[in-house]
Amino acid sequence: MKSKRFQVLAERDVNKDGFIKEWPEVGLIAMDGPNDPTPSIKIQNGKVVELDGKKREDFDLIDSFIAEYGIELSRAEEVMAIPSVDLAKMLVDVNVPRSEMVKYTIAMTPAKAAQVLGKMNVLEMMMALTKMRPRKTPSNQCHVTNVKDHPVQIAADSAEASLRGFDEHETTVGVVRYAPFNALSLLVGSQVGRPGVLTQCAVEEATELQLGMRGLTAYAETVSVYGTEQVFVDGDDTPWSKAFLASAYASRGLKMRFTSGTGSEVQMGYAEGKSMLYLEARCVFITKAAGVQGLQNGSISCIGVPGAVPSGIRAVLAENVITTMLDMEVASGNDQTFSHSPIRRTARTLMQMIPGTDFIFSGYSAVPNYDNMFAGSNFDAEDYDDYNVLQRDLKVDGGLRPVTEDEVVKIRNRAAKALQVVFKNLDLPEITDAEVEAATYAHGSKDMPDRNVVEDLKAAQEMMERKITGVDVIKALHNGGFEDVAGNLLNMMKMRVSGDHLHTSAIIDENFHVISAVNDCNDYNGPGTGYQISPERWDQIKNIPNAIDATDFE
Amino acid sequence: MNQKDMLESIVQEVMKQMSGGAPAAPAANGNTATADQDYPLSERRADQIKSPTGKSLNEITLEGVMNGSVTADDCKIRPETLEMQAQIAESVGRAAFARNLRRAAELIAVPDDRLLEIYNALRPYRSTKGEMIAIADELENQYNAKINGAFIREAAELYEQRGRLRV
Repeated sequence: MKSKRFQVLAERDVNKDGFIKEWPEVGLIAMDGPNDPTPSIKIQNGKVVELDGKKREDFDLIDSFIAEYGIELSRAEEVMAIPSVDLAKMLVDVNVPRSEMVKYTIAMTPAKAAQVLGKMNVLEMMMALTKMRPRKTPSNQCHVTNVKDHPVQIAADSAEASLRGFDEHETTVGVVRYAPFNALSLLVGSQVGRPGVLTQCAVEEATELQLGMRGLTAYAETVSVYGTEQVFVDGDDTPWSKAFLASAYASRGLKMRFTSGTGSEVQMGYAEGKSMLYLEARCVFITKAAGVQGLQNGSISCIGVPGAVPSGIRAVLAENVITTMLDMEVASGNDQTFSHSPIRRTARTLMQMIPGTDFIFSGYSAVPNYDNMFAGSNFDAEDYDDYNVLQRDLKVDGGLRPVTEDEVVKIRNRAAKALQVVFKNLDLPEITDAEVEAATYAHGSKDMPDRNVVEDLKAAQEMMERKITGVDVIKALHNGGFEDVAGNLLNMMKMRVSGDHLHTSAIIDENFHVISAVNDCNDYNGPGTGYQISPERWDQIKNIPNAIDATDFE
Repeated sequence: MNQKDMLESIVQEVMKQMSGGAPAAPAANGNTATADQDYPLSERRADQIKSPTGKSLNEITLEGVMNGSVTADDCKIRPETLEMQAQIAESVGRAAFARNLRRAAELIAVPDDRLLEIYNALRPYRSTKGEMIAIADELENQYNAKINGAFIREAAELYEQRGRLRV
């Protein structure tokens, strides 16, 4: 006989997920691996001669880079002598302010940081994240992509995402050669939705930089680093090439952060038998050493790996915490489909949503799951109302707000029309009124007419050869009657002149005022301090359109 | 200069030398920029912020774009501004980030295409040691990019030790 109970359970979503038992020898272990090095540092004449049990002559490129640039040596020996459990206690202690705590955490080694997090449960890590995230105000980022790389749909979805509250928008491509169109459509759509939104187009490193140089994007994030030298090199970079790239971005007035995540090394087959969190700690230190202001982590595209091992989702939270400990912006993942189970998906996101991070999602999917070209996200456009209700239930600011159908339809239509005139005035293939209409009311690319892809790709390539810049787009918008959107684009270009948005955790508000961890520092030290939801913001969060109003019954 | 100010400037000077950075271009008012006094520069030091073409922020207008007097070249950052941002970063304890901004300040002068080529040349197995040294020389001699030159020389040595050069 088969148990009916077990038959029902076997059909549950969670049992469609993959799970793996720990196998430390190959790195299939989330935290506290038996082969992780014992934390150590030895400094002679201002030079690190031993790092986490390894002698200087045995350093690989990553060790050398971290030892040279990634650790505040003046206090390192003092901090390394403090028991890890005491440092863990300081991280959750509301009486130790962030400004004081950072002096300790930037003087640790990677193995020490991993060991400290090993002493903490998820609740304590969430407390630490609340205190240690650099910017006081939490925020959110979205993905805007679609299977067809349909430019009009990208513009419309981006405008809607701006309205819903996302401060950063990220696109990528189905077909690589569409990149210039996707970047352009996102730029125009986002600025129709809300002035000051930052946009990026995730493609190969050199192309991504080129799009930024042309003024078609405002920041970059897809600059990956890895925790073992072999995987780093297989990723076709070194810490030095990546650090040089980081400076190249800043030299053009472009914001940027690196990307890493637990599980990437074991997935690429060279984890050297170390735990995922230890290797990720090395990535965080590489980022710090490169002088980059922030990091996208939280496993990211490898979430299936930590998601499958015991304590894996705890490790993903731990890596976010380490990023903030090194005083860097954290765009905290939640950006890839990792489970069939809505219960697991929600639990995984609450780890970042409740504490609040610089960007709770580094890609909430502003499109249906089938249109997400980053392999889905943990929350999609279908989950907008669920997310808004979670904010309302818990009185948590997750960065989004409820919207009405009328305002969404209106803003999508305007973005589609703005892109229509941009294409017309830049001599790009026509956007028809039928496409504008479809994008206005579409949910996903299944609702969009097909475009002439061959013609689009040819024009996209020519657009780069013609060296179309953000300034050309401004003119096209202005000539098409979208003076306000043209003005928004110009203000985004002008940000490059001052570079205020290069700083840690920078976002830009609708008046082009920069809010960063320089002028909006997280000063949490217990109840009633740090970020507080204002009465206006609370009104926005709690007034979901479908809530019954008692006055309706009078 | 009173004693406190003098001490502050001496310490700053020493710190700069320790970090190996070039002496800071002083902000126009002669002081070091700080988070409290100067950030955001676009609001609090708008009078000092200029594009590399010499335009101030309020000269970069939509009218200018439409009549052709404002071009994409006016929407760029200049080394003096990045230096001020580096000082602001240091004033909030972000030394590594400030180093990145100082490397960046040097790279402003390098043309877009050359910058992309150099990045690609620094990737693993792309360059011989001699080619990397030549890039360092070029950065130092043509662009006065001393920090970047030293950075690439350091990379060349370590790539050699770890077998990551082109053979």
